[in-house]
Amino acid sequence: MNFAATLLVAGLSVGSIYAMIAITLNLTYWTTRTVNFGQGSILMLSAMGTIFLARVGLPLGFAVLVAVGVAAVVMILIERIAIRPAMSESGSMGWAVSTLGVGILLQGLVARYFGSQAVAFPEVLMSSDLYLTVGGIRIGAQYLLVFTFSIVTIAVMEAFLRQTVWGRAVRAVAQDRELAGVMGMPVSGIILISFAVSGMLAGTAGILTAQIIGTVDPAFGFNLLMSGFVAGILGGFGSNIGALVGGLLIGVIEQFASGYVSTALGHGISMVILLLMLAFRPQGLFGTIEVEKA
Amino acid sequence: MTNQSNRRKVIQRIAGLGTAIVFGLNLNLAFGQTGGGAIKVGMTGSLTGPYSEYGEAVKNALDLAIEQWNARGGINGRKIELTTVLDDQLIPDRAAQNMRRLLDDKSLDVIMGPGGSGPSLAVADMVAADGRTFINPFSQNPTPTYPNGLDKPPRANMFQFGILSNVEAEFLGNYLGKTYKKIGLAHESTGYGVAGKDTLLSIITKNYPDRKFEIESYAQRSTDVTPQLLRLQRAEVDAIVVVGLGADLVNIRRTMRRIGMQQPLIASAGGVSVAYMEGAGDAAAGTIAPLVGALVESNPRPEVTAFVNSYKAKYGPDRQWGPDKNRPFAGMSLIVIPPYDGANIVFEGIRRANSTEPAKVTAAIESMKGIAGVNTVYSFSRQRHHGIDAENLTMLQAVKRGDKVVWEVLKN
Repeated sequence: MNFAATLLVAGLSVGSIYAMIAITLNLTYWTTRTVNFGQGSILMLSAMGTIFLARVGLPLGFAVLVAVGVAAVVMILIERIAIRPAMSESGSMGWAVSTLGVGILLQGLVARYFGSQAVAFPEVLMSSDLYLTVGGIRIGAQYLLVFTFSIVTIAVMEAFLRQTVWGRAVRAVAQDRELAGVMGMPVSGIILISFAVSGMLAGTAGILTAQIIGTVDPAFGFNLLMSGFVAGILGGFGSNIGALVGGLLIGVIEQFASGYVSTALGHGISMVILLLMLAFRPQGLFGTIEVEKA
Repeated sequence: MTNQSNRRKVIQRIAGLGTAIVFGLNLNLAFGQTGGGAIKVGMTGSLTGPYSEYGEAVKNALDLAIEQWNARGGINGRKIELTTVLDDQLIPDRAAQNMRRLLDDKSLDVIMGPGGSGPSLAVADMVAADGRTFINPFSQNPTPTYPNGLDKPPRANMFQFGILSNVEAEFLGNYLGKTYKKIGLAHESTGYGVAGKDTLLSIITKNYPDRKFEIESYAQRSTDVTPQLLRLQRAEVDAIVVVGLGADLVNIRRTMRRIGMQQPLIASAGGVSVAYMEGAGDAAAGTIAPLVGALVESNPRPEVTAFVNSYKAKYGPDRQWGPDKNRPFAGMSLIVIPPYDGANIVFEGIRRANSTEPAKVTAAIESMKGIAGVNTVYSFSRQRHHGIDAENLTMLQAVKRGDKVVWEVLKN
């Protein structure tokens, strides 16, 4: 019982981070129909930025805020430099290569100026040895906090999208970009906001993950991006509810496969899920098949 | 007339070039045999990339050794120069390319090889074919120097100064077999992790056949290692042994605390890195690992004290030195001291041979007995081209002292 409960808690905690990453991909997918394959480097950048800023003397909380802000700014730059020019030609997939290229460039820049070694990440939330006991089951407080923080952040973002003017505008652009432009909406500005919010969420996810792992290096983020991508595909690309369910499912399935079958299966099971979904239900659990009207 | 003139010019050029080559070769030969110019050293190491701490350690050690020899007047009056420093990022292919460049430079007398077993294996054959004196700073795999096994003669021009993997496995395996009945073994899924696990298992099963094991693997830089540790916890193992590098050891240590595992954590020497000490913080306390004990002895030998003082004077308490300004990080015995000792042994060999000719240098080194280095007192022979034995290793434990975690000799 204790074994299964601990696996469940760890799976939900890690899965909530996958969900957050999937939602960051959704945000930019809605407004530009592109996926930022360099998103993993945004996760790394915010975590590495937090370490750097804390070391130069900024209070830890402020360092986190600045690092998340930097992640947002970098995402805006990615939209301007790597995505918008590539989309100027109709049907071009150049953005896939250019976003991946920017991700690799960011890794290289961080390695060049901050070193390539794994660097210790400070305990932002709380110490790893704190825990709660619920019904005789030990639950790591860090897991619980990461899970709660992720879910609250996702809820706040969903409220922003549904309740605010800017959120509705993002959804309008997602529905029909051309019509939104005709209706007088500042489409370019809305796209920039979607990238900025995506960057902030990705930055937060990077910091939460670094809290669990304990160290960060320039390659940090690539595996997480893959898991977030699979979560998005499982839930249905473009659906936030799907991303949440997909992320939590992937996290829990990985943990249970590793715990009850073998850790080797746990490493590869998300890729198996990806292949199965693409083969049999490409729209995902909560997605709908898009139809282009003539 | 024009054709004849051109032909003459071509012949003159060829003759001139030939003379220059022959003269140059003679010059090289002359320097190699009798001395006169500076003794030139070249190195390749991981100066950038994820393992830059290794290359930095070798460069620091080599610079320090050269500076000290030159301050004493060099080797038989000849100064030592580190003329070529190449970066391989611990990537075997790149190390092989760099080694080709170094070996093509006939002015080099001594080559400091790359760190890590993969790069060392990648360059070993070409270095052996070239024949120049080669220092293998700290790779653990014995194959580069002993390609036919440790019971067969080593390659003549190669000397290895790290802890050989079989030496570590023998020491660690006997400790584990003697101390624990059921051992949980977690290893990274790389060649290093798998080979380390296999060697360790073979030693324990041979010497302690009644011991039981639970084995788990993990991918390098895994986000979460909870399932592996929970499986070991459920199996009620007496201790967790990790064969892997420091950054992943941080994740394992933190997860152990998160899920409340109380078993002792024992790391292979490769895990005891600056990254582990920084990343694990106070959680590192209690970790046990086999290391050369030179830097933690209560009464250090004069060579150890001299090294510690000179390193601190030259570099200050840098990343290699570690967080405690007053005492060096015990892990320096893994990646800083081996290249320092290696350089000193080879320079002493050149001094005794009064030549940089590889065969004479090898003969001089093989005749050395009881030469005090920093990590140990070295003895070489035609059958022995490495320095560290199991008896040089000590079980250390990370202990919290005040606000710092330091390594001390494990009691009992």
